[in-house]
Amino acid sequence: MEITIDDRTIEANRGESVLQAAMRHGIEIPHFCYHPRLSIAGSCRICLVKVEGVPKLMPACNLSVAPNMKVSTLAPEVGRAREQVMQFLMLNHPVDCGICDKAGECRLQDYEFAFGPPRSRSLDAKHHKRKLHDLSPRIQLDNERCILCSRCVRFTREISKSNMLGIVERGAHAVVERLDPESVDDAYSDNVIGICPTGALLSRDFLYQSRVWFLEPVRSVCTGCSRGCSIDLWRRKKEWRLRSLGEERNNMLYRVTVHENPEINGPWLCNKGFDQHKLATRERTLSPTLGDVPASIGQAIARARELIAAARSPAALVSAQASNEELDAFKAALGERFRVYAREDSVAQPEEVVEDDFLIKADKNPNSYGVRERFGWKALAAADAQAHDLFLVWGDWGDYAMFGRARVIHLSSFAPQRDRRPDVHIPLSMTFERSGTFCNFEGKPNRFEKVLDKPPLVEHAADVFAQLEAELAVLQRLPEAS
Amino acid sequence: MSGQAAQDVRTENVFMSFAVTSDSHTLDAYRARGGYEALGKALRTMQPGDVEREVTASGLRGRGGANFPVGSKWSFVNKESPVVYLCCNADEGEPGTFKDRWILEHVPHQLVEGILLAAFALHARHAFVYIRGEFDLALRRLRGALDEARAAGLVGEHILGSAFACDVVVHRGGGAYVCGEESSLINSLEGKKGYPRNKPPFPAVKGFYGAPTVVNNVETLANVPWIVARGGAAYAALGNKANPGHRLFGVSGHVNKPGLYELPTGYPMKKLIFEDCGGILGGKPLKAVIPGGSSTPVLTAGEIEALTLDAPSLQQAGSMLGSGGLIVIAEGTCMVRLLQVLTRFYRHESCGQCTPCREGTAWMDDILARVVDGRGQAADLASLQEVPEGILGNTLCALGDAAAMPVLSFMKKFRNEFEYFVANRRSLNDGRLEA
Repeated sequence: MEITIDDRTIEANRGESVLQAAMRHGIEIPHFCYHPRLSIAGSCRICLVKVEGVPKLMPACNLSVAPNMKVSTLAPEVGRAREQVMQFLMLNHPVDCGICDKAGECRLQDYEFAFGPPRSRSLDAKHHKRKLHDLSPRIQLDNERCILCSRCVRFTREISKSNMLGIVERGAHAVVERLDPESVDDAYSDNVIGICPTGALLSRDFLYQSRVWFLEPVRSVCTGCSRGCSIDLWRRKKEWRLRSLGEERNNMLYRVTVHENPEINGPWLCNKGFDQHKLATRERTLSPTLGDVPASIGQAIARARELIAAARSPAALVSAQASNEELDAFKAALGERFRVYAREDSVAQPEEVVEDDFLIKADKNPNSYGVRERFGWKALAAADAQAHDLFLVWGDWGDYAMFGRARVIHLSSFAPQRDRRPDVHIPLSMTFERSGTFCNFEGKPNRFEKVLDKPPLVEHAADVFAQLEAELAVLQRLPEAS
Repeated sequence: MSGQAAQDVRTENVFMSFAVTSDSHTLDAYRARGGYEALGKALRTMQPGDVEREVTASGLRGRGGANFPVGSKWSFVNKESPVVYLCCNADEGEPGTFKDRWILEHVPHQLVEGILLAAFALHARHAFVYIRGEFDLALRRLRGALDEARAAGLVGEHILGSAFACDVVVHRGGGAYVCGEESSLINSLEGKKGYPRNKPPFPAVKGFYGAPTVVNNVETLANVPWIVARGGAAYAALGNKANPGHRLFGVSGHVNKPGLYELPTGYPMKKLIFEDCGGILGGKPLKAVIPGGSSTPVLTAGEIEALTLDAPSLQQAGSMLGSGGLIVIAEGTCMVRLLQVLTRFYRHESCGQCTPCREGTAWMDDILARVVDGRGQAADLASLQEVPEGILGNTLCALGDAAAMPVLSFMKKFRNEFEYFVANRRSLNDGRLEA
């Protein structure tokens, strides 16, 4: 059916709201409480529009489209209603944008500039509510900044189903509150930070870390499980990397936000995903070693080449944390030399949610699908281990005992086992230091981009394989040398 | 009830058709007056559609305040729906209104009979009475009446030996004015917070637990037995043609005989105040009347001259008949302070769900509190105009309008008092009422 919004005639679907139809056609109708994945609250009243033939202004979010409906968002009364609603919302809002992390990406701020009155009418002191306090170990709540849109409440009710939040008290005393302070933290709680249209809910991790306009998002993929949710990793913009900030703050991951991906995660992400940037601060090895001896990359590659060339029956444990491109590089370079075994690099930690019926999958690796597709999925059994005299371990692995007396070449980002050092250890780059694709458990490919530069003595796995292949090819042409 | 006592017992009355005694509320007394005959007649000789047709023909309109035609509300319900619910709204909270309490206390069986007839017409197997939490005697009388009715086979299975069955459940409210709004009443009944719902869908389509639900006021339902017994046409002949029937008018404020009066619609307002209620307290001149509960726009003495007590007449005067609770205000009353009593109420009772009402009611009260405290500023007068205008029509439920209309009408009709208060930091009417 066709409806008219201002001067544009657009095609609308049956059962759709005016707001949805307008958004699909790129017509901006302001909204706070409306969220496409949550139920209709109709409470913020900023989306009021004029409909021809209807005396009152109607909320666009709860207004079903009807054939030949004529909607106006430019009518003077609509502008006036928006101004009045903004006036009401700002009445007791502290306007402490200067110390609020949300400033710069705050819907309330944007709408106040766009639709607010030129100056406040209020002569009274602002009413105060509870200021920044811990809602949970992850989230801070500022009830003064809250506009009671109930997005967070509806999220915990309808999406995460934890019922963690509620609005208590009546009228102007109404506040968002954690309903049961003793309850287990919602595994998806951090989403409420993103859907909050103001600075009421803030990440404790990101609190006062940076103004958001100094940062930029880079599209990435969460490596926390085989769902492979799309995320944005935030780094400092190039023009804002200042010498006075120091090396660390210029080159760090500041935070994670959801990158909406209707194919995989929609607009949601679990808390583990919101913690992806913390991988960058986990202690890792930054230079190759030969046994206990630090070595250069060249030395390490050379030694690895020697071990491979000497091995009669080499085996490789490929990483389910590796990208499709790296797996292809391995297959092309060394696939024929090695017997390939697969494994899950990461497993659920003790307090972690193993699996649920929403996003979290039991396989805690982003690319098991890619491994299975290329190499099948044969796990390494103790009996198989006896048959090999060399293991190329790719990714984290803790069980060297299984290898018996076989030689070990280990490629991983983090320090290998302490009790028995591998013969060669080459540190690898992290996901956010390279680009590539993962295939999630459903086989849906998802691309991630390079966010930060890798440390100098760390190698990309694909480069290691390419160098090994090149050196092995040289050896083959000079058989007497081995 | 002094007003009621002063009135003659008129047998043609819908409600006050008998002398109130210590046991006139019982089943026996009600039956002796012909009670439950309408129910018997309906169950024996009528189809549910017939009851609805009689109610439609009677022109009965909702008595809760919105004055919505009852027949048309019932007609919205899909009678084929597997479940239909009926809710009786007994959450009488509008300041100045006390008619439902009288019905619950004195003619509870008439309400029960009305509920059963409505349930019969609507194919409702379950009916609920959402009763105001502060009511005590009314609650005891209603529960007593239901116990009596259940024991007499009037409520429950096989009512009066027929196949018709209906349970009536009494639910006490938690003390929220907003729960008198039908959709928040349903939320509250479901055990949720008393937040009004977005409309559409209206309760008649999607109400209690998602089923079609009719919410009717106590007085509305208590009219139904009379209509069924004597026919819709007889009811339509009572009072004003456009807005027929009898209504219970609760008169409070500065009159000599405040109380509840049953009158046909179309009755002159001046006659009610100056004859039935015995005129203004202390012989003072009349200053203003709030005609239908605190939410309706105030009318000045001049405006009520030719006014009759029916919806069209009040609408013409720019107000509403609302719940029929008249608040009579004598000359000498400070309208600024009076308005602050009202804004304090709406501030306290706003549910806080939608922005304009949550922020606006508190803001209006803040301004008025300051004005009354002698700290008003000239800009406050403009704000008292702008703020309610920002609420009016922009809220999720009618409570926003209810809070805005008194302020707008007081500012329009008694602006000089507000200006005086702001300019002189004292009331124009200081001490004159008591003098």
